[in-house]
Amino acid sequence: MLALRDLQTALRRALLEEDVDASHALDAEIADGDFPAPERLAVYRNNIFASLTDALRETFPVICRLVDERFFSYTAHEFIATYPPKRPALMEYGGAFPDFLAGFPPCSDLSYLADVARFEWLMNVAAQASDAEAMSADCLAGMAPQDAVRLAFTLRPSYGYLSSRWPVDRIWRANQPGACSEAVIDLASGGVHLEVCRRGGDVVFRALDDSTFAFRQAVAMGACFGEAIERALAREPDFAVGAALATLFADEAVSAVTLASPATELAS
Amino acid sequence: MNEPTESSTPHNAALGVGLRAPHIREVELARPAIGWFEIHAENYLGGGPSLARLETLRRDYSLSLHGVGLSLGTATGLDPEHLKRFKALITRTEPFLISDHLSWSVADGVYLNDLLPLPYTEESLDVVARNVAIAQEAFGRPILVENPSRYLHFRHSTICEPDFLAELSRRTGCGILLDVNNIFVSCANLDLDADAYCAALSGSSIGEIHLAGHSRVSRRGAEILIDDHASIVSEPVWQLYARVLERFGLVPSLIEWDKDLPPFETLLGEARKAERIAQSWIAGHARAA
Repeated sequence: MLALRDLQTALRRALLEEDVDASHALDAEIADGDFPAPERLAVYRNNIFASLTDALRETFPVICRLVDERFFSYTAHEFIATYPPKRPALMEYGGAFPDFLAGFPPCSDLSYLADVARFEWLMNVAAQASDAEAMSADCLAGMAPQDAVRLAFTLRPSYGYLSSRWPVDRIWRANQPGACSEAVIDLASGGVHLEVCRRGGDVVFRALDDSTFAFRQAVAMGACFGEAIERALAREPDFAVGAALATLFADEAVSAVTLASPATELAS
Repeated sequence: MNEPTESSTPHNAALGVGLRAPHIREVELARPAIGWFEIHAENYLGGGPSLARLETLRRDYSLSLHGVGLSLGTATGLDPEHLKRFKALITRTEPFLISDHLSWSVADGVYLNDLLPLPYTEESLDVVARNVAIAQEAFGRPILVENPSRYLHFRHSTICEPDFLAELSRRTGCGILLDVNNIFVSCANLDLDADAYCAALSGSSIGEIHLAGHSRVSRRGAEILIDDHASIVSEPVWQLYARVLERFGLVPSLIEWDKDLPPFETLLGEARKAERIAQSWIAGHARAA
């Protein structure tokens, strides 16, 4: 007879990893009746994999459409066994799925798949993100111009950024329910820089030009204003700094503004 | 402080329905006449629009928070982070009932997303009682613990499930959420008697009843019942519900449907059916008095 803690470990290994030794150990613990113990365990295993596959399908519906239902279930099964959820909030499960797809040999011919999954994950994060009040640009009034480069902006929690060498936004649109299935997307037509966020209750996205993307992504990653500008200017020497800052506030993207200490600026 | 106000607690005869995301818009528009709603707490732990919409509905309807992830049977204890988020949801939604299951779903920091069975032993009783006490301490109020649907029985169990629940309730002050369909499913799968099960619970504090559908699957010539919440309540479960009311009196009862969701109207139809059974119980007792 196993102690409860060991019994739970054995069940985890038997159900999730289909570990043979764990299953044998459990045979002695489980009464058979009309059904042998492995059949009884199979009911629980099916519940676990089916429900977690459903959760992944809800978060990654376009991936499911791109690879078809059966292949998605197979891929999800491999993912779940390797990267099971740590917490019971299933809308937060699947953040590792895009990287898993990128390294999953059966998907290696579909090189755009991981980026489409990253896009769906950003949309999922945006849908669940908590609300935060937007700040107006008035908060910058009275700021000494020489301090501006040390400003750090916190974007509202729903904001996310993705750069892809594939047209993932068009792939996503063409695979929405009711989209024209005849549409052919030229994968060689170029990549896209995307910003995802929530407006009102709806998740929205849009393509950004190269320098605006570099600026906003740097801001989102916590870079101070000076560094974000440098990133943008490296891509576009004529990058309009004042307009970029004004637009960031006009879009209601900023939820907090802090002033990095000079030491932090040096370190960055 | 989080005790529900009297006005937010529905009458015992009021029927509730499990509210799932695809039905929310219809409910917002139609405002159906229903006693209360129950939601899965784990679906609302994030912030954002879904929680805001729930808070709006909460103004017009009483709410029950049903957990599927506390994992009250985990030997190594509860996840403090999950408890904290659950508590924050309680504070925001002021439910009249809070519940989870007599089962476990977390082992070694992995969440298995199913209500896994416990051996019913003194060791398990100590574990579950400790975890229930911790949850109740964190929430500042008692919870209900639900009998799970079961597909296996551990050889070294020494206590029957209703005795286990009754003793858990005695030790911790928790109430019992009696899932009538789960009694039916577990008893069929484990060769137990449903009425004997209910008799063993007599005198316990039943705070809520669940009703749901199950399916039958044949494996190698034998049949196993699966608690899939994907169909109407079966006739024998309705009959068992009537006998449960006979034994325990009126208790807030809920229709659950989680997979292959039908139109919301179908759920209302099931609630009306439960209501008729409850009404005939009331009529019977009025005559007896």
